[in-house]
Amino acid sequence: MPTAILDIQDLSFIFDDGYIGLNRISLSIRQGEFIILAGKNGSGKTTFLRHLNGLLRPTSGRVRVNGKEISTHLIETRKTVGMVFQDPDTQMVGDTVFDEVAFGPENLKQPRALINEKVSRVLKALNLFHLKDRHPSTLSGGEKRKTAIAGILVMDPKVIVFDEPFSNLDYPGILQVLSTLMDLHRAGQTLIIATHDIEPIVFEAGRMIIMENGSVMEDGAPLDLVPCLESYGVREPCFSKFGLQPRPWQK
Amino acid sequence: MAEITPFTYRPGDSSLHFLDPRLKFFIVSLISVSLVGAGFISTGICFLMLVLSLKKTGLHFFSILKHLKLFLALLFFIFLARAVTTQGDILVSVYGLALTRQGLTEGGLVAFKFFAVMLTGLMFSVTTRPSSIKAAVQWFLKPVPLVPEKRVAVMISLALCFLPVILRQAKEISDAQNARCAHLQKNPVRKTMGLVLPLLKRTVLSADRLVLAMESRCYRDDRTDPEFNPSGREPLFLFGTLALCLCLLLC
Amino acid sequence: MTASTDLKMTVYASLFVALIAVGAFIAIPIGPVPIVLQNLFVLLAGLLLGPVWGLACVAVYLIIGLAGLPVFAGGTSGLGKLFGPTGGYLLGYLPCVFITASVSKGLGKKTAFDILAMVLGSLIVYAAGVPWLKAVTGMSLEKAVMAGMVPFLIGDALKIVAAAFLAKTLRPLMKL
Ligand SMILES: Nc1ncnc2c1ncn2[C@@H]1O[C@H](COP(=O)(O)OP(=O)(O)OP(=O)(O)O)[C@@H](O)[C@H]1O
Ligand SMILES: [Mg+2]
Repeated sequence: MPTAILDIQDLSFIFDDGYIGLNRISLSIRQGEFIILAGKNGSGKTTFLRHLNGLLRPTSGRVRVNGKEISTHLIETRKTVGMVFQDPDTQMVGDTVFDEVAFGPENLKQPRALINEKVSRVLKALNLFHLKDRHPSTLSGGEKRKTAIAGILVMDPKVIVFDEPFSNLDYPGILQVLSTLMDLHRAGQTLIIATHDIEPIVFEAGRMIIMENGSVMEDGAPLDLVPCLESYGVREPCFSKFGLQPRPWQK
Repeated sequence: MAEITPFTYRPGDSSLHFLDPRLKFFIVSLISVSLVGAGFISTGICFLMLVLSLKKTGLHFFSILKHLKLFLALLFFIFLARAVTTQGDILVSVYGLALTRQGLTEGGLVAFKFFAVMLTGLMFSVTTRPSSIKAAVQWFLKPVPLVPEKRVAVMISLALCFLPVILRQAKEISDAQNARCAHLQKNPVRKTMGLVLPLLKRTVLSADRLVLAMESRCYRDDRTDPEFNPSGREPLFLFGTLALCLCLLLC
Repeated sequence: MTASTDLKMTVYASLFVALIAVGAFIAIPIGPVPIVLQNLFVLLAGLLLGPVWGLACVAVYLIIGLAGLPVFAGGTSGLGKLFGPTGGYLLGYLPCVFITASVSKGLGKKTAFDILAMVLGSLIVYAAGVPWLKAVTGMSLEKAVMAGMVPFLIGDALKIVAAAFLAKTLRPLMKL
């Protein structure tokens, strides 16, 4: 059995104003897992994800990455756990796609030649190389999301965390991101995807965690949990609603 | 930025595009400074060269004039002010203001030179990628004591990223407000607040998100330096410029 | 958490660099002289970012304009603009933001004192801009004041009032 890459014990988080953001969450996530984190708006998904690479510090409990405490191994954690944020427009730092992707390795002060080589490789792998000189704000929604993913991939993370990767995307955009996710999964990446629309990935994911009011309510195989989704305020995928056979979005 | 001004970087393959930005900046400054001491003929030569090379970058002279309306009005104003305040042979005199021949030439020359300096600046903006400008600034600031040049470079990148975000949001806000008849609002303070307050609120939120994104990508001040790729024609351009400047100063 | 506060101020200062640049382009049409928002953002940078970061913000704005990014009024840039007829106003933003920020900070960030601080700051901009305009154009001081200061005073007063309100609402939001 593969070892746990993320180990969360009794994690609670209370906001400055006293609101309980997370309530005693314990989970263990293994290398290579593909996990959906479902829950309605305000259920605490984003708050939870931000604990996974040290952007928020637990009020109580602990999060360990590869067996190491986050607070004492911050840079290492952030290299291991990459995070793709909800709104790609506000996470772009470079003025070309190439520079944007190079931002992370530059922060790690890697040599320029290595950076150039890595960035080109990642851009080619994600089919973005022809856009390398474009300004990120001029890209389509799907391309922006893929650029954000490239900016994380280039740091060789072990776990990639996505916050609402499908929001604001049209159908081709969703398919683009979806196929990128599937490639990553096949390559052995650990993926955690927070979303309130589980339709595109429910068939591919191996595990689903449902949150409500800052607590984990269910944790199991996605297709088994589908029937109870609506009681937690998450839309049930069409296939199960209409009693059809589940079919992957991707051919 | 291209929405508000035509004088942004335009991709192209002229030799100016490939010139090392540090040298290009030096050349542009040298020409600008030499122009101050130049006479009519040499300014004219320089002006012709500028117009011709601007044409190569796809920017047409008349569209430049159109966008520099305000600046041209200012130049005309300077021309007039000089023309009537310089002592010399009186050509006509209206209401006690004497238009002198010396004044006309003097004013004409000053306005002409300002215009040429402005074109030199445009030339640089149009042929230099913002990221190269940023790299050059960082390089020039390096020897300056007390200035954290890497921090300045990051601030430049961030400011460039915020520009399109701000413009888009300003447009959205003013559209949304006009749809609710905000143009009927006569109180100027309210009117200003009505645009600026939501604009600042939204952009501050995106700034907060950007802080998180940068943190999660391991941002530190000590980063990899930018690289420069000289095109090999630098000595040629340097000598050409030195010759031009000598000509500007002597003729 | 000092590293993170530093990063936050860096990002906010960069945001204001962009706002000051955009402020040269967006105007609110009121009366004959439209209200240009650039100096409003300079004043706000002083009030919200404090002396050091306010100064850094205006300095970076001037540097990128000088270095050739088209962020000055009309999409212009470069030496010609910074040392041209209206260059004095641009350079005047440096002492302006510093004085505004220092006075506001020194007196405790109360609305009335903020207004005082901004009046001082705006006067400094003219103190730098008008003599410069006079020197470059060769007009008399009187004319320079009539052309380069008087038409903008009403707009400035409005902007100062607006900026005082804006600072009051934004300070808690930015957690400064
Ligand atoms: N800074 C804060 N202070 C107080 N409460 C907050 C703060 N940030 C978020 N919350 C609250 O915490 C709860 C969880 O928010 P969170 O953003 O984690 O939800 P989410 O599941 O990601 O929702 P969404 O689907 O909308 O992204 C919400 O009820 C929110 O109002
Ligand atoms: Mg969320």
